[in-house]
Amino acid sequence: MEQTSTTKDQIRQFILQSAQRKGVSTLGDDESLSQNGVMDSLVIFRLVSFLEDTFNIRVADEEIVDENFQSVNGIEKFVESKLAKKAN
Amino acid sequence: MDFSWTEEQNAFRQSVIKFARQELNNNLIERDRNQEFSRQAWNKCAEFGIQGLPIPQPYGGGGSDILTTVCALEALGYGCRDNGLVFSINAHMWSAEIPILNHGTEAQKQYYLPKLVNGEWIGIQGMTEPMSGSDAYSLRTRAEKRGDRYILNGSKTFISNAPIADVFIIFANLDPEMKPAGVTAFVVDKGTPGLSVSRKLEKMGLRTSPIAELAITDCEIPAENLLGKEYGGQAVFTSAMEWERICILANHLGLMQRLLETSARYASQRQQFGQPIDKFPAVATRIAEMDIRLETSRLVLYKAAWLKKTGRHPLREASIAKAYVSEACVQTCLDAIKIHGGYGYMTEYEIERDLRDAIGGTIYSGTSDIHKMILASLQGV
Ligand SMILES: Cc1cc2nc3c(=O)[nH]c(=O)nc-3n(C[C@H](O)[C@H](O)[C@H](O)COP(=O)(O)OP(=O)(O)OC[C@H]3O[C@@H](n4cnc5c(N)ncnc54)[C@H](O)[C@@H]3O)c2cc1C
Repeated sequence: MEQTSTTKDQIRQFILQSAQRKGVSTLGDDESLSQNGVMDSLVIFRLVSFLEDTFNIRVADEEIVDENFQSVNGIEKFVESKLAKKAN
Repeated sequence: MDFSWTEEQNAFRQSVIKFARQELNNNLIERDRNQEFSRQAWNKCAEFGIQGLPIPQPYGGGGSDILTTVCALEALGYGCRDNGLVFSINAHMWSAEIPILNHGTEAQKQYYLPKLVNGEWIGIQGMTEPMSGSDAYSLRTRAEKRGDRYILNGSKTFISNAPIADVFIIFANLDPEMKPAGVTAFVVDKGTPGLSVSRKLEKMGLRTSPIAELAITDCEIPAENLLGKEYGGQAVFTSAMEWERICILANHLGLMQRLLETSARYASQRQQFGQPIDKFPAVATRIAEMDIRLETSRLVLYKAAWLKKTGRHPLREASIAKAYVSEACVQTCLDAIKIHGGYGYMTEYEIERDLRDAIGGTIYSGTSDIHKMILASLQGV
């Protein structure tokens, strides 16, 4: 439980920083990041670098698709599944 | 940290240089003047295995890792003086082969890759439009889904290889309200009604690499020609760009080495004021600066490739490599011309062509300004 909230907090903080640069100041965890204009090609790449460095995971080229990065909750789910695979 | 190439990589490098020198440099001044692409040289490169370097063996490629690919392309840039041909090959590999390899279905990979690798087919990427360049995702080409078909409408410009292409990777927006997230990639075959080259373009350099505008009018394609997923265009484009920005200037390293060697040789032979011009500090310094630029360009490009090989996404390093190597190469071409004096300015010395070709590198795959913007934003600016 502890791990889950930490993961989500870190993701939320990163996304919020990117959102603020685009003039979006509040963000729901389920809110679509493409619809509110937060996610663009640069943010996706910065996010991937951030996830790889922060959670020590590798994101393959074919995993860089919008469906893995649609919302804070979606990103958290993606990271959790990568971490679970690593643990096994 | 190990900066050495393996014995096999060194041997491969030598064989690429030998091949390029023997087969690819014919009649260049005239072909450049006439904007003539050499299909024969293209086929020879394919036969040698260049177009298939990073493509896995099951699809007909060589299955080389990215560092070996960079090593071979650097050697190609050193041995082959037809920078336009090398650019066409790069455009084909990074913007057509890699998107299909990374995002294609198994059926698409099996259908397209072997022929893209063996030289039979030439690929392109249609992203840029008259109203959208650096801001690529603001494109206006639309895709509309009708039953199990997509209808594409729009236009593209500055599309390398378009006049000779067989396979067109076209980006269009499936839902303009979604803005960049609506962008979707499609693979369109030559001869599909509604897709045509509307105008061939003449350019300053890379003249042996054809470039054109595309008209896309009620171009109807089947659902299986979707590349990646609906609304997945950003993913297709970004993964291709990552490869492209690291690898597309590897041949510039070879070109910079060739210019350094030619200039040093010329400066040691050319006499003025009773001595070789390399005895003049201004000329010697210029040669030293060419060498510094070559070495630093190698370091940034190899590092980006190495990071990619380790499975990471070197956004920062790829942007550094693209911005730095392209500008360094232009400066090295200028220095080579200055060292050669009036001869360097003459077409027959073939250095002015290198300069014209090198300038393109500061524009395609994201201008130097755009890469600096990416780098600044990574620093939180
Ligand atoms: C030789 C060549 C081959 C090409 N091949 C292809 C191809 O195969 N497929 C394809 O789709 N496209 C291709 N292109 C197009 C290329 O990607 C674009 O030219 C490039 O992205 C720049 O877009 P633009 O020309 O519209 O310039 P613009 O985007 O209009 O830029 C004009 C100037 O403004 C600057 N600028 C723009 N935005 C910013 C910013 N935010 N910050 C700072 N400066 C900025 C630019 O750096 C530039 O100096 C090719 C271009 C060339 C020259």
